[in-house]
Amino acid sequence: MEGIVRFVENSGFANLTPGHLLMILVGLLFIFLAIRYEYKPLFLVPIGFGILIGNIPFVEHAGLHLGIYEEGSVMNYLYMGVLKGIFPPLIFLGIGAMTDFSPLISNPKLMLLGGAAQLGIFLTYIGAISLGFTNPEAASIGIIGGADGPTAIFLSSKLAPHLIGSIAIAAYSYMALLPVIQTPIMRLLTTKKERRIKMKPPRSVSKLEKILFPVVALLLTGFIAPGSLPLLGMLFLGNLLKESMVTKRLADTARNTMIDMVTIILGLTIGASTQATTFLTQQSMHIFVLGATAFMFSTAGGVLFAKIMNLFLSTENRINPLIGAAGVSAVPDSALVVQMEGLKADPDNHLIMHAMAPNVAGVIGSAVAAGIMMSFLL
Amino acid sequence: MTTIVHLLPIDLSAIGNEHLTLALIGYSIVFLSLFLLFIVFSLLPKFLTRNLRRKFQKEGGEEKAALAGTMVQGEVSAAIATAISLYLEELHDEETAILTIKKVGKSYSPWNSKIYNVININRFQR
Repeated sequence: MEGIVRFVENSGFANLTPGHLLMILVGLLFIFLAIRYEYKPLFLVPIGFGILIGNIPFVEHAGLHLGIYEEGSVMNYLYMGVLKGIFPPLIFLGIGAMTDFSPLISNPKLMLLGGAAQLGIFLTYIGAISLGFTNPEAASIGIIGGADGPTAIFLSSKLAPHLIGSIAIAAYSYMALLPVIQTPIMRLLTTKKERRIKMKPPRSVSKLEKILFPVVALLLTGFIAPGSLPLLGMLFLGNLLKESMVTKRLADTARNTMIDMVTIILGLTIGASTQATTFLTQQSMHIFVLGATAFMFSTAGGVLFAKIMNLFLSTENRINPLIGAAGVSAVPDSALVVQMEGLKADPDNHLIMHAMAPNVAGVIGSAVAAGIMMSFLL
Repeated sequence: MTTIVHLLPIDLSAIGNEHLTLALIGYSIVFLSLFLLFIVFSLLPKFLTRNLRRKFQKEGGEEKAALAGTMVQGEVSAAIATAISLYLEELHDEETAILTIKKVGKSYSPWNSKIYNVININRFQR
């Protein structure tokens, strides 16, 4: 009889709180959005399922070793890869092996848009300070503006590990909602005439340039912000594996098998880390508000800087300011948003190739920003 | 309005000079690193075509040397690459009559082997 009572006490029903129910609904929503509307399904399915796993209630610290925050549990071991900052660099290795930097190499001035679109990171950092967050917490929240999940997870694992769950969920949720967030800002800050600007087709890039890019970029950015080395080192290594053409097997593994494995475990554990008992706080709500503003400021930063650049460029070299919005990284989603918006203004104007340049520059920019934050605050 | 202020208790006095400095310097350094990349990769094509330019200059003077710096548009390269690919794959009107049947290799693993699969044993028994 005592065993039955203990079993009932340990069951999910006995420990259910409204918080758990709410989080389970959030998890189901993520899975629904991913499957029904294909919003970032590779991330939202594991994260959504992780939220379900993390929010099935149980008696915590009863020696069952179930929860992600309980030492010795399987989820806790997997979560170590997040807490120790191991998974994000591995994801960057895969991203590097997938990314073609030739749009950026062929039109290097577009790199500046990737820098301008990091505005949201630093403005949100200031905003988070004004909301009472500590310096390291504010920096981790600000990096959401980079629209780069792995970078946000990496920086928060170093500066504010207790906020990883909220920051990662905010970053990935807003990335899934990019069209909703970016489109109104892009329209607000550009005229219809500007949205119709046709850019010169990019030139072809030689193999040597493609091979030199990861090496030179690593040396330059690494010396300026060594804190970004775990991310950028892996990103550029992955790219060299791809572009050298002599390590095809390694590049294939990095961009397929390895990144898939890491994505599953990363998504699952990030989702599971949103246990209602630790996640549902006012702080998390503030992070969500700040995350949204970070995305908006970053988009605005990129678009406005493109307009400023146009003041100094000749008519035939002018930039369509919409591509500035792609500087927020989120590869390739923000470039796709730009392409769709460009097509709405002019059905013959395909901006995707041009938008990929600030897009990949944004990945470099956000990783450098993370490195700078680490150097300042660690 | 009161509800918003209560939910988002903004305290501007919490922002100190050190925070503004970090934000300003941080943003500048991000810009600087990408600006340096921009400079390097703007100059690199000129550097890489330096020898070619010299060669052209010897052969045909300044007019031909200027060609060394001109870059082929990506669209043109794509068209040439497609044409070469179609030619090499012999996708034209007269196809070669040589047919090759490729053997499909299956990767073996105990994990996907029917020999180790209990369900399949039952199926054979039926």
